[in-house]
Amino acid sequence: MSATDSTAGASGSGGSTQGASGSSGDAPEQPDTSTYECNICLDTARDAVISHCGHLFCWPCLHQWLETRPNRQVCPVCKAGISKDKVIPLYGRGSTDQKDPRDKVPPRPQGLRTEPENNANFPGFGFGEGGFQFGIGAFPFGFFATTFNFNNGRPPPPGPGTQQHGEEQFLSKVFLWVAMMCVVWLLIS
Amino acid sequence: MANIAVARIKREFKEVVKSEEVAKCHIKVELVDDSFTSLRGEILGPPDTPYEGGTFILDIRIPETYPFNPPKVQFLTKIWHPNISSVTGAICLDILKDQWAAAMTLRTVLLSLQALLAAPEPDDPQDAVVARQYKETSDIFSQTARHWASNYASAPHREPVMDDKVAQLKNMGFDEHKARVALSTHNWDIEQAMENILS
Repeated sequence: MSATDSTAGASGSGGSTQGASGSSGDAPEQPDTSTYECNICLDTARDAVISHCGHLFCWPCLHQWLETRPNRQVCPVCKAGISKDKVIPLYGRGSTDQKDPRDKVPPRPQGLRTEPENNANFPGFGFGEGGFQFGIGAFPFGFFATTFNFNNGRPPPPGPGTQQHGEEQFLSKVFLWVAMMCVVWLLIS
Repeated sequence: MANIAVARIKREFKEVVKSEEVAKCHIKVELVDDSFTSLRGEILGPPDTPYEGGTFILDIRIPETYPFNPPKVQFLTKIWHPNISSVTGAICLDILKDQWAAAMTLRTVLLSLQALLAAPEPDDPQDAVVARQYKETSDIFSQTARHWASNYASAPHREPVMDDKVAQLKNMGFDEHKARVALSTHNWDIEQAMENILS
């Protein structure tokens, strides 16, 4: 009602004095409160959400705006593209609702939580180091794996003539024999 | 009807009344009754236009779905402008139709209308006759618009030649406004205007 009265007085007389006194009276609180006003109802935002373009709304107000024009969903302030999934709810400390926000109609979108980035390396499992693989079951995979080794990111196989090369050749033969014996055993039994 | 529309209009009233444009008497909003759904707006014709110094009254109707839908605005003051009907005062302005956004207020609407007076958009006309005159004979358009503003919006700059022609037809027994419309439509050719009224 006070709004009506002051309005009628100021607009009726066009009085600059009344306008001036009104603005000076409200001046101290004006900058603080208006910052957190919903851009649609112009009241302090409740169930506040913020668009990616940074504009603040009550969620019920913004929801109704998006429902009014489902084909042309734009920010009511800057007309940037906007959608239900692209607004962020604001949770102030003092404004924790006793009720679950999901009970309200319409439900406010949930905040987006991303897990912090994990920089720790996996502990090395030691498989295949040195270009070495085991054959599993009846087939001598090891034979192919060592022969056709694509060597992705692993240290190159030792050159011929070194002691390690000799050992690997020997082991390769041992495994080949073991595989052969398995095959023979399977055929016999 | 204690809905969001009324609550918002009340808040907007405070804003418009405090705004500096009101202090400079450029725009004004008044209540028509206590319902907050029917308002009376007022804008001053912008400088360096044919409307300079004129006071244009607007009828503003607030729909129940405001601010999700735009207010219905039309000119009550008769005006000669390509985007405003010279007959009904209906306005062709995108923000009052599909380009409306809920964050717009009475203040921004009135300022937009003031800007429309300064920058007509003849390719998207509301009044085809005025738009054609604006594009083809811009001198006659400016004089006609100034003549209308001086007669209907009490703008200070008169167009004596046009005033005389209207007076001539009025003395012959024609209605003043009909005479003015006919003369404006026919580029101030008296004979054509008379034919138009009599036909």
